[in-house]
Amino acid sequence: MNMRTTNKQNKSQFIAVDSIAAELGAVMEVAKEISLAAANAKAIAFRAREKAKGFQPITDFINELAKETLELVNDINENSLLLYQLTVNEYRTADAYRKLEQAAQMAEGAAHGKSIQARVEAAKIKMQASRGQFRWHVSQLLNQLEAVMRPARAARVIAANSRIEASQAGEYMQSLQAVAESVDNAAQIIHDNVQRCRSVLSIIVIAE
Amino acid sequence: MKMTKIYEGSYQWIAYGRDQNKPDNIIDTNQYVVRAANRCLILDPGGVELFAPMLAAVLNHVPVEQITDLFASHQDPDVISSLGLWDQALPKAKLHAPALWEGFLRHYGCDTIEYVPIPDKGGVINLDSVELQIIPAHYLHSSANFHVYDPHAKILMSGDVGAALEAPGAPMFVDKFDAHVEKMRYFHQRWMPSNQAKRAWIERVRNLEIDMLAPQHGRIFKGDDVKRFLDWFEALPVGVAI
Repeated sequence: MNMRTTNKQNKSQFIAVDSIAAELGAVMEVAKEISLAAANAKAIAFRAREKAKGFQPITDFINELAKETLELVNDINENSLLLYQLTVNEYRTADAYRKLEQAAQMAEGAAHGKSIQARVEAAKIKMQASRGQFRWHVSQLLNQLEAVMRPARAARVIAANSRIEASQAGEYMQSLQAVAESVDNAAQIIHDNVQRCRSVLSIIVIAE
Repeated sequence: MKMTKIYEGSYQWIAYGRDQNKPDNIIDTNQYVVRAANRCLILDPGGVELFAPMLAAVLNHVPVEQITDLFASHQDPDVISSLGLWDQALPKAKLHAPALWEGFLRHYGCDTIEYVPIPDKGGVINLDSVELQIIPAHYLHSSANFHVYDPHAKILMSGDVGAALEAPGAPMFVDKFDAHVEKMRYFHQRWMPSNQAKRAWIERVRNLEIDMLAPQHGRIFKGDDVKRFLDWFEALPVGVAI
């Protein structure tokens, strides 16, 4: 692999890790919105009493899902910050290895040219170690993202149930259907954002 | 890269510069090495672009394990942006650099090299039996700036003071001082901010015995040209962009 290809790869890796952080930030916001929708639904269901009896347990579910998503995304955020550090580290170790190798080639024939060989080898080992560490964290992150998809999928099922329950809530039907709609939209956004994160990560893994 | 021994005694001073493979759009720099019995100091090791050719050139004189010390006169990229690479190449080395710039210089990457902060008043670097003096040159041009004086070899490594903007492949030594002046004027007037700092430095440096004044850019001054340079610099108004 030549230097230009590696530099390009490093750049796209930086951009990828940055875009993951941005997507996750958006997921956090949406999860907070779900939490608000759950609180709103609870208040409506309380006012509607008997007419929204079936809706009341659903609001607790929605709230739980929002909480679970927030917790998972918090963990992922920590991991994605670490991934950024690892990207910097990988960039530095790879750059040092390339430049040391270059120096070793230029020093062929120099009186002490051979003294650099051990440093080139050490730099190579360091680069491989940081690349391995990076890959391991990417796979961890992929697993965590898969975990976030689960509450998002469950939220969509709950939204469908909510619509049915809302249809029996008389004059509260419209408000409760709006809640169901916002949960459904939010779940869809989370699903799409997380899916984009996973695609970006998969591209990094393939590029490696 | 051109390599010139500028002092040969029980230890050596070697100047490196005029790298033919350097990209055209980066300023040319001189690097200096003090090679003692078992240790070696690189003064202003240079930018990232220069790391590989510089290391390869130094290996003509020193095995890598004997490159034990680095010195950075100030924080500029042409002086020390290669730090992150030296950090990987020389894990046991020391970097002598201004205390004021430590938090800034570490941005280049300095995890394994030991940062030895130089206080404002200066200090010394002991290299086996060679003692080098670190001379304050604050505001010339950087707010925390140092030069290195070797009282035995009578060499002053003067960082940006004495620098000249030269055509590629220029000789390493000043031969015609009067002709050289025009290559230095803009550099000093524009990069040096303070006449007060300039006067304080000249007063300090006039007390030193100097056979060679070795800047980081351009040519080295020898013999009477050192005094000529100090006189010229003293008369030159600097900080002219205000």
